[in-house]
Parts: sequence; structure tokens; C-alpha cells
Amino acid sequence: MLLNTYTDSLDFNALTQWIDQALSSVMPAWGVVLTECILIGLCLLLGYALIALALIYIERKVCAFFQCRLGPNRVGPYGTVQSIADMVKMLIKELITIDRVDRFLFNLAPYIVIISSVLAFGCLPFAKGLEVLDFNVGIFFLMAVSSIGVVGILLAGWSSNNKYSLIGAMRSGAQMISYELSIGLSLMTMVVLAGTMQLSEIVERQADCWFLFSGHIPAVIAFLVYLVAGTAETNRGPFDLPEADSELTAGYHTEYSGMHFGFFYLAEYLNLFIVSAVAATMFLGGWMPLHIAGWDGFNAVMDYIPSLVWFLIKVGVIIFVIMWFKWTFPRLRIDQLLKLEWKYLLPINLLNLLLMVIIVVTGLHF
Amino acid sequence: MNKIKDKLALMAPSVVFAEGEPLTVTVPAGEFHAVAKSLRDDPEMRFDFLVCMTGMDWGETLGVVYHLRSTSFGHEIVLRTETSDRENPELQSVSDLWEAAQLNEREVYDFYGIRFVGNSDMRRLYLRNDWVGYPFRKDYDASPEINPVRLESDESLDVVPGLQEENGKIEETESVLFDDSEYVVNIGPQHPATHGVLRFRVSLEGEIVKKVDVNCGYIHRGIEKMCESLTYPQTLALTDRLDYLAAHQNRHALCMCIEKAMGIEVPERALYIRTIMDELNRLSSHLLFWSTLCMDLGALTAFFYGFRDREKVLDMMEETTGGRLIQNYNVIGGVMADIHPNLVKRVKEFIAYLPPMLEEYDEVFTGNVIAQQRMKGIGVLTKEDAISYGVTGPSGRASGWHCDVRKLKPYGVYDKVDFKEIVRTGGDTFDRYLVRVDEIRESLHILEQLIDNVPAGDYAVKTKPIIRLPEGQFFSSVEASRGEFGVYIESRGDKYPYRVKFRSPCLPLVSVVDHLTRGYKIADLIAIGGSLDYVVPDVDR
Amino acid sequence: MSAFKEYIGSFFKGLTSLLKGMRVTIRVFFRKKTTEQYPENRATLQMFDRFRGELIMPHNENNEHKCVACGICQMNCPNGSIRVESETVTDEEGKKKRVLKRYIYDIGSCLYCQLCVRSCPHGAITFDTKFEHAVFTREKLVRQLNHEGSTLEKK
Repeated sequence: MLLNTYTDSLDFNALTQWIDQALSSVMPAWGVVLTECILIGLCLLLGYALIALALIYIERKVCAFFQCRLGPNRVGPYGTVQSIADMVKMLIKELITIDRVDRFLFNLAPYIVIISSVLAFGCLPFAKGLEVLDFNVGIFFLMAVSSIGVVGILLAGWSSNNKYSLIGAMRSGAQMISYELSIGLSLMTMVVLAGTMQLSEIVERQADCWFLFSGHIPAVIAFLVYLVAGTAETNRGPFDLPEADSELTAGYHTEYSGMHFGFFYLAEYLNLFIVSAVAATMFLGGWMPLHIAGWDGFNAVMDYIPSLVWFLIKVGVIIFVIMWFKWTFPRLRIDQLLKLEWKYLLPINLLNLLLMVIIVVTGLHF
Repeated sequence: MNKIKDKLALMAPSVVFAEGEPLTVTVPAGEFHAVAKSLRDDPEMRFDFLVCMTGMDWGETLGVVYHLRSTSFGHEIVLRTETSDRENPELQSVSDLWEAAQLNEREVYDFYGIRFVGNSDMRRLYLRNDWVGYPFRKDYDASPEINPVRLESDESLDVVPGLQEENGKIEETESVLFDDSEYVVNIGPQHPATHGVLRFRVSLEGEIVKKVDVNCGYIHRGIEKMCESLTYPQTLALTDRLDYLAAHQNRHALCMCIEKAMGIEVPERALYIRTIMDELNRLSSHLLFWSTLCMDLGALTAFFYGFRDREKVLDMMEETTGGRLIQNYNVIGGVMADIHPNLVKRVKEFIAYLPPMLEEYDEVFTGNVIAQQRMKGIGVLTKEDAISYGVTGPSGRASGWHCDVRKLKPYGVYDKVDFKEIVRTGGDTFDRYLVRVDEIRESLHILEQLIDNVPAGDYAVKTKPIIRLPEGQFFSSVEASRGEFGVYIESRGDKYPYRVKFRSPCLPLVSVVDHLTRGYKIADLIAIGGSLDYVVPDVDR
Repeated sequence: MSAFKEYIGSFFKGLTSLLKGMRVTIRVFFRKKTTEQYPENRATLQMFDRFRGELIMPHNENNEHKCVACGICQMNCPNGSIRVESETVTDEEGKKKRVLKRYIYDIGSCLYCQLCVRSCPHGAITFDTKFEHAVFTREKLVRQLNHEGSTLEKK
């Protein structure tokens, strides 16, 4: 099988094993676990912050280019330091205490949002051997933790003592719960094809052919549905009703300031990354290079590209498409949003799931 | 006209007719409502459109001047009514006959203190509730001790005072606007979708709008009052600041009114230039409308496309007039300067440039399924309501009302060019949108005909350094970007006007919001507001 | 059946309209951008010559202006942005003459209506195309237009 021949030019297994051995030689077993946990946590948070900053910069540039503008171009070459400058500003800004809010819940909400997205972030298989949480219900766990975020958003809107925020939060609740269904069903379609929920396994099984191609019709439908539902899940345009700046000023985070606002902001971009990463993993083979059966020379060339790069390229393409959605379409209204889900996406999804089961049972997939 | 005169004389023998055009009738205060009702309902008169309502202080008496027009016959009449009671002036309300009177009566109350019997909402419209005195009265004391700059916020009334007549007795009434159980949200004064400092108090039932109360006056500058102490050339500078997207057209109306009063013949070349600039102004305004409506509906990218193209129009205007927004180009008797030599070339380039861009607009927004679903069937305004509220301009034409002043009473050189009056019959948000998009094309068509044919000659006639208007009342109107913009001047022969009133096209647009949005969602309120395209400085004046 | 057809039809019609929009935006994505890089293009930035930036009083090389301090501009200004301060001096021939002492212009309240320039009988003032007026206090917006020690141009 191709799988066995693929050796990553940038293998993380070796690195992690070397660290493990180095630590074991100097401290007892519990110390090794503790140190590794801290190290991994730090790396995750660092990666989280860096990706969010990069995404904010990319979004601003992409959006500007769609709008015949140049975008940030003052801080650093081509404005690259802009989002770092923004982060510094955000960090040193005051956290304003608002009169008559439920202070505990108000302060808790951004942390719930950020924790849920960090947890989901931890599940992602970034490259061969580079995954933090990898167990047999991986995709299920990812779905479960990422939907905790809506609790944070509801709390934020509820506790803000602001009518706009409350409306935003209610919209967000209705939207997220509806679209969770579509995301779940479209991923379930792929789980039927993969036969496993473990993310590393799912990637390994796409070594010969990405699921998007091997599952043909139902996989393509599931992919499109997932893209739409994923966009809705991250509260991005055209589904940005909870924020809807022209209606609700800023929706659920109207009253937040400083780093608490920053958390919402970071989580929003990271959720975009997570949604795209899950799409890349489930449909486009994750970190697996593009292999075409029979073309050995081509496959060998593809293998030279490190798996992390493959992963980031795939995620990047999907992120660009989602940004392209946002910067083209007008916003939906709440009833249209729900109609789209319950009248179109859900029936399509259910039929699609059935189709996929038939195809898998009859062995019609590649 | 004589027929109307005879009829009126028969019906109410106490009315007094004045000389001149249009027919001006002074009606005693006690019979006013009856006369107005028959003027509206009589099948041979049908004065169904209240064009303009002007509060007046004639020294001894306080009163109101009504400009009425019949949309089916096109004839016009001016009604005057007055009361000599300066302490506690009361007149009969006509808000049950014309919806447009509702807010206008509040404006008259605000400025002159005249209370209207039969109007259940007699709050001030522009000024604070705790304002002392009525500023447009000639004996108003403007000293700052009486009305200092107040730092505490003005309380919004939930229960509003009014006056009703019952069994011949006038009684104070109180009506409840919002009760305690209602979920009232402020949209504005600082809100991205109100296009300025306008405030809607919106009562919500979940996402659904139950009632909207409009609060104006955040940008009220008292321009009409200021005009009373400025010479005629000086008043011109202020019209640009009303509806800043129709600056040139507003000023055109005021210049026309003054020229009509003075009997000045404007040179042909100036008329052509004025018409060209009017249309350029309309282009820039409609492009901005398109952009902001897209933004209100969440299509931010489309917003930038509109602005990109509007920039070219602004460049053209700036090159000739020296101003982008505040063009300051019309003067009494013509225009300030001749057109810039580059203008013809630029306009031609633009006429070639814009149509492909309009195709792009259609692809990115008009045809978009989300945009269509958000606009179709939303906020339907019937033709009758449009007339009653006085919603003119593209919004009125979307309801099937032929109200284009350029066609009804051609000014400039509109009688010499061939253009269609864009009329649609749906009256919903999508029709209001389409009318404006089509008007962009129509404006290009007008420019195409004019730009090569500007006749040679003077661009202005010489006027005396000090301009005095003969005694009398003068009214003229133009089709501004968002509707009929009228100017009413009452002159007593001085170099200052005695009273100037601007018939703003945007006040009716704002007054109709409540009627249109009831039962729709918050997002629809934004879409409807965007499609009505009001400009707040024009509402507040 | 027709309802189902409509359901499917509307779905695909909607989808095409969305794709059309995306085609437009991606085309613009690769088009030349229209942003003007303002402070960088300062050297080449040319305002239109009729643009009204601020009121100025041109002086010739001998530090002479054309203002006779008649005050017509001050009278015509709708907003009171102009104050003409003059003094009466007696010249060598013993004639009393009004000369300009200070010509004060408050750009903060100027309406740019051009009534002053149009009404000036001697063409002593005009509008400049300079537009960078930002200052930190309002007082700095009040300017004296006649230069120090300038005199009336002799005919």
C-alpha cells in the first residue's frame, strides 16, 4: 500500500519520541507526564494565538482585495505586523465594568467560548504524528466540545444587560443548534464511508484517494452541505446574524471590551480554522499528500512536500472559500436562515446519508 | 380654476380669495377641517396630496399655509388659516385627511406653539421636551439664559399629550405609546443602519416589530430660522447642507424660487449646466443609495463597488464646482462658473464606463437569491398611502405614483430631453431598489443627450449686489434625488426673507417607516429603511 | 409534482445566482486596486484648481496685497468668519486713508460659499487648494491673512 511507502520529510514522531526519551532520562515517570502536558499545552496555546493572528491578517487582506482596496499596509512590510499591533492594543485596553450586568457570568462567557475552541483545536491532526488528542471517538469528541461555545455566546448575550446583545444571543442559539444538525449529519455521512471515528485513522484511510473523490456523489454533497453549515456554525457572513453589525451593532459581544472582546474575536477566527481543518481532514485527506493510483512518479514528488504543509494548504484553500462567501453575499434574515436549514439542508442531508449507506453497502465507492 | 373658486365660495361663504397663481384661499379657523375634507373628497377637486405645510407668524396672528395638489388633475391650491390667539393658539388638525400632516403638525407645534385639535400626538418634533418658548415666533427670546445647553438627557415620553374635540368641547387627551410590558429597543441615534443621527424607538415581539416611534431632531440646526436673518445670496449656502446628497438640486430649487420672484430670465447655457449637474448629483446619490442598501443587507463588498464608481462622479463635480459634497455651484441668475473644459470628456468616459459596472452590480446583488428574498414583498407601500404620506421620489414611483417633478412641471431643460419616468407598481423594497437602479441608467441617458449640446452664451446673468424680493409668496420645487424638494418663500420686500420653508422629501420617508415595518422583522426594518433612503440632515433641517 | 419541481428549480436558480456573484468578486480580486496611498503620494497629488481649500490673500514680491479694507467680504460672510481690522492713517499729502491692519479669517467656521471672493471689488482674496488643515486647538484655525508689514499695492 502507498501508506507504507509514505515517509514524511518532516516527521514529528521522531521529534516527540526524542523529547520523551530525553525527559525520561532525567526525571521520574510522573514528572515526564507533567512536563509533557505543560509543554503540549504551551505549544497548543502558542499555535492557537499565532494561527488566529495570521488569520486576522489574512482575512483583512483578502477582504480588501475583494473590495478593490489594499488592506492593512502601514504596520510592517505589507502590513504584516498589523494584527500583532492590534493584539498589543487589545491586551493593554481596560476591561470596562458595565453597570448592572451579571458580573460572574459576564466574565465567564468569553472563557467558555475560548475553552471550547481550544479543546476542539487540540483534536486536530496537523501532520503525521502531530496530534494531541487522538482516540477512537475523535470526531465525535470534536463536535461535542466545539458546540459548548454556544453556551458562552448565550451567556454573553444574557448577562450583558443589553437588548441588542440578548437578541444576538437568541439568534445565535437558534442558529447554532439548527446547523449543528447539518454538520453532524454531513460528518456522519463521511464516518459511514471511513468506518471509524478516530481522526488519525480517517486520514490514514485516505492515503490512496481522498474521501471527496472516493465517496463521489454523496461525498461531494456532504462537502457542500458541510461548507454551508460550517460557515453558519462559525457565525460568519452570510450567516453572521448574531453579530449583524447593521442591525444589532455587534450582537452578543456589544458590551465587551479589552481582552474579553479579544477572546471572542480570537475564538471566532479559530473556529473558522477548526471548521476548515475538519473539512480538510474528513474530505480532503488531512495531511495526506495527493496520491493518484498508478502515477508513481507524481506520487513520489507529492511525498516530498511535508505533511504539515499539505494540511495547511488544504485548510487555507477552504478558509479562502469561506472568506469568499462572506465577502460576496448579503446577510440572511433569521427566518430564511432557519428555512435554509430545515427545508433544504436537513432533507438533503438525510437522503445523502441514506445514499452513502447504500453506496458503502453495495461497494460502489472507489 | 374658476370652478373650484365657485365651489368653494358656495360651500363656505366666509373664505377669502387672493389674487394670483396658484389659487390662494384664506379659510377661517373654525371651518378649516370641513373645507379641507371637501377639497380632498370632492370628485372634481380631489386634492389628495399635501405637498407642504408651513407654520407662519404674521405678527398679529399665527397660522399655517397648506400647499395642496391633486394627483389626478394636477391642479394646485394654497390654503391659509390663522388664529389671533397668541397665548394658546389652537387650529383644527387635518392629520385624519392626510397622513403627511401628522409629523408636520408636530413640527408647527414645535416651532410656533400652535396646537392641533384632533391630533393625538402633540409632542415636539425636533426640540427637547423641556425647551422654553417657540423659536420661530417673531417675538421669541433667543437669549441663552432661557435655553442653556442642557447636559442631562431628554426623557422619552411613553405617554403623549394630544387634543381632541368632543361635543364642541376641546379636551386634553393622553395616549399611550408604549406600555410597561413592551420590549422597546432604541435603534439609533448612534446606529450603523439609520444613516445618521436618527432614532427609532422600536417595540419588539421577539424579532417582530410591533411599533416604531420616530425621534428626530438630533441634527436640527434651525436652517429655516437662520435664513430669516440672512440675505438671499447667503441663504444659498445653507441648502447644500440639508440633503447633502442632493446639494446641487436643493440649491437649484432655492435659486429657481428667487429667480421666479425677481423675474430673472436664466441664460440657456446655465439651464443646461444646471440640468447636467442635477443629473450628476442624482447619479452620485443613487450610487450611494445602492452601496448603503447593500451594506445594510450585509453585502459589504458591494458597498465598496458603489463607492468606487461614485468617486468618479464626485471627481467630475469637484473639477467643475470645486466641491465634492457641498458643491456651492448655483447662484441667483445662473451658475458660479463655466463648466470645466475637462467635464465633457470625463462625462463621456463615465457614460461608457458605468453600464458594465451596473451589470456587475446586478450579478453581485440584484440577482442574488438572498438579496431578492430579503427585499421582495417586504414593506409594501400602496399608491394611496404613498400619496397620503407624501412619499415622493423614487420611493413614491415604486408604488405606481407618477410624481416626477421633472415630468409634471419641467424645469431646467428637462422638457428638451427624452427620458422615461421609471414607475413600478409593486411598492415593496425590491421595487424601490429597482426604480433607483433604473434611474441611474436613465440619468446616463439624459447626460448623453445634454453633454454635447450645451449652447454657447453666458453662464449667469448679472444681478444687483443687494437682492430684494417683491412682496408675496413664492413656491417652487425640483425633483431632488429622493423626492420633491420644495422651497416656500414669503417676502415682505426686504433683503431678508420673512419666512423660508423647505419641503424636505425625507420627512415623509421617515414618517412612513412605522406604517411599513409593522409586523415585519428587525432585519426588515433595516432593509426598508435602507430602501427608503432618507438623509437625516434633510429630515431635521 | 410541480411544487417539487419548483422546490428543486428554485434551489438551483438560487445556487447559480450565488455563483454569479462569486464570479464577480473573484474577478475584482485580481483587478488593479483603486486605493490612493495618501501621504506617500503627496508629491504628485494634484488637487483640482477650483477646489476650495482655504481663503488666502495673495501678496506680490514686494509684500503688497490688494485689500483696501472696505469690509464688503465681512458683510457678505453668512457665518461671520471674516473680520477686517482697519486703521485710518494720514499720508504725506495730508489725506486721510483707511488701510488694512489685520485681516482675520476663521477657517473653523468657514462655509466655503465663496461669497467673499465673489463680492470683493479688487480681487484681493481667493481660495487656495491646500487641504491639510488639521490642528490641535481651535485657536490655531483663526488666521491672519495679510503678511506682517505688508502694504497696499500701488496701481
